[in-house]
Amino acid sequence: MEGGLAHRRALDYADRDPRGPIPQEAEITTGRRVEPGRAYGFFTDTTLCIGCKACEVACKEWNQLPADHLGLTGHSYDNTGHLGAHTWRHVTFNEKIGKDGRRATTMPPYQSHWLMMSDVCKHCDPAPCLEACPTGALFRTEFESVVVQQDICNGCGYCVPACPFGVVELSVEDGKAHKCTLCYDRLKGGLEPACAKSCPTDSIRFGPVEELLEGAKARVARLHAQGQPAAYLYGAPGTPRATGGIGRLNAFFLLIERPEAYNLPPAPSRPAPRALPSILSGLAAVAGLAAAALLIGVGRR
Amino acid sequence: MNEATRPEGWSGETYHGRPVTKASSFDWKVSAYIALLGMAGSAQVIAAVARRAGGRRARGLVRRARLVALAGSVVGPLVLIQHLKTPSRWYNMLRIVRPTSPMSLGSWLLTAFGGLSALTALGALFGHRSRLARRVADAAQLPAAAAGAGMSVYTASLLSATSTPLWAAAPGPLAAQFGAASMAGAASALALAQRRAGEVGSARRLERLAALAAAGELAASLLAERRWREAGVGHAAQRGRAAPLLQGAKAGGMALPLLAHAVSGRRSGLLPELASLALILGGAALRHGVLQAGNESACRPEDAFRHADPRRRR
Repeated sequence: MEGGLAHRRALDYADRDPRGPIPQEAEITTGRRVEPGRAYGFFTDTTLCIGCKACEVACKEWNQLPADHLGLTGHSYDNTGHLGAHTWRHVTFNEKIGKDGRRATTMPPYQSHWLMMSDVCKHCDPAPCLEACPTGALFRTEFESVVVQQDICNGCGYCVPACPFGVVELSVEDGKAHKCTLCYDRLKGGLEPACAKSCPTDSIRFGPVEELLEGAKARVARLHAQGQPAAYLYGAPGTPRATGGIGRLNAFFLLIERPEAYNLPPAPSRPAPRALPSILSGLAAVAGLAAAALLIGVGRR
Repeated sequence: MNEATRPEGWSGETYHGRPVTKASSFDWKVSAYIALLGMAGSAQVIAAVARRAGGRRARGLVRRARLVALAGSVVGPLVLIQHLKTPSRWYNMLRIVRPTSPMSLGSWLLTAFGGLSALTALGALFGHRSRLARRVADAAQLPAAAAGAGMSVYTASLLSATSTPLWAAAPGPLAAQFGAASMAGAASALALAQRRAGEVGSARRLERLAALAAAGELAASLLAERRWREAGVGHAAQRGRAAPLLQGAKAGGMALPLLAHAVSGRRSGLLPELASLALILGGAALRHGVLQAGNESACRPEDAFRHADPRRRR
């Protein structure tokens, strides 16, 4: 192969300062350019995850996120615990080494008895956090990702309970909401997000959502053919039950167990539509009491 | 293709018992705001009704109701701003209008309510010597009452429009509960004021209204509990940290004062005043209990999974 292992596009920049970025480097690392106006996201294939946590480290390093909750959880190899203000990738570990108290004696293909998954913000469309945000700090970018503008957020915290996945969190350090930005700054510079670039098994794939979906469907079919019939897509566009009332998740997953095993809600719903029926029943109650007050003659001596 | 192969039936398994959703940061400041502004909002409703039903004879009550509304809309926002994690940026609440966000619409509603309450307060403060103040206040009364009705209930919608299982499972009953509690609180506060002012007949009418509101509050509470049971998310309210507060609010802050108002009849004295006080505190305790229990339910993965189960969704 000409140029050894290097991508032929990389050779175009051989005479450049190696410390400088290559324009549209994503084309070299993912085969796709990063262009505004298209929906980008992650396809996280859990059958390929080896639980190395390179994504967690790359995310922390690139986004300069402080370490948090140091210590042991006692939950398998998961000492990260959960996504939060300073943790935007979280590798879950679920040891399923037996059933009904008996050790398993057979090994199904792919992630045999250990389930590992790199969890991340789903960049929902529509996004409950964005729909809840009263300041406009949360917005949808030109890459269809959902980002908190740190110079606008006033820490009201309403996005936190709005998220059906428990992703966004207020930081005690600065009093603002934080979450994965899909590496907005990197996308602007034509780079793929740090977690996807660092993933050694390509369990985390970055790209335009439509193309990721095609690849994901093919992967499911291939796994079924290879003897892993449990493989299915969670949160993929066009699979309504997996997304409840939310149209689609721009970060979706390939799982081989029920969503609960990975701490994912089975069919999360969009919270915003609950407001109208609620306010109407409340106003009806107040109107009824106001009418009662008229009948009682409140105001007369 | 995907649906067919997704494993069916959840056995109750959680991921190391870890929470799925995150609890809100809403604490006593938020529940104090909810109770305070609910009372202020309903006071404006009562002012409008009294103005219509009582005419000039209602002057004292209308004035006091408008002052309660003014006090609430001055103190409430200050408490609410203190709850923000970056309070210096409170004004960003008025940066946009987000129709999908009860927090955004609520901020605008609060602004409108504050302005209208300031206008009606003109009548309360300067009405005796300025005809203009009286006219402005009377013109603002109906819009203020409409905004006040919104203030009495929007906080419940705000809670229900989240992924917190306990709040999301009962949007209607929760709002009815909050509205009735606001009305009971406002009527009770004004009944106390009327008794102090020696207008006992007017106070009795308000106490009757408060008793009716307490009955509504109780009925909505029972309805909410039924919804929680059906959705399988009631654990935090039934057996959690907030359970004593919620039970106490129901017994001591709704049922008992309701009974007290019923038996006190035409008698005056300590009993109706104690009942009024209990209704005010009971409404506040109810709101705080709902906040606490909601935050607890958000940390219970079983509740989150059941809430996100399409077969359980109404």
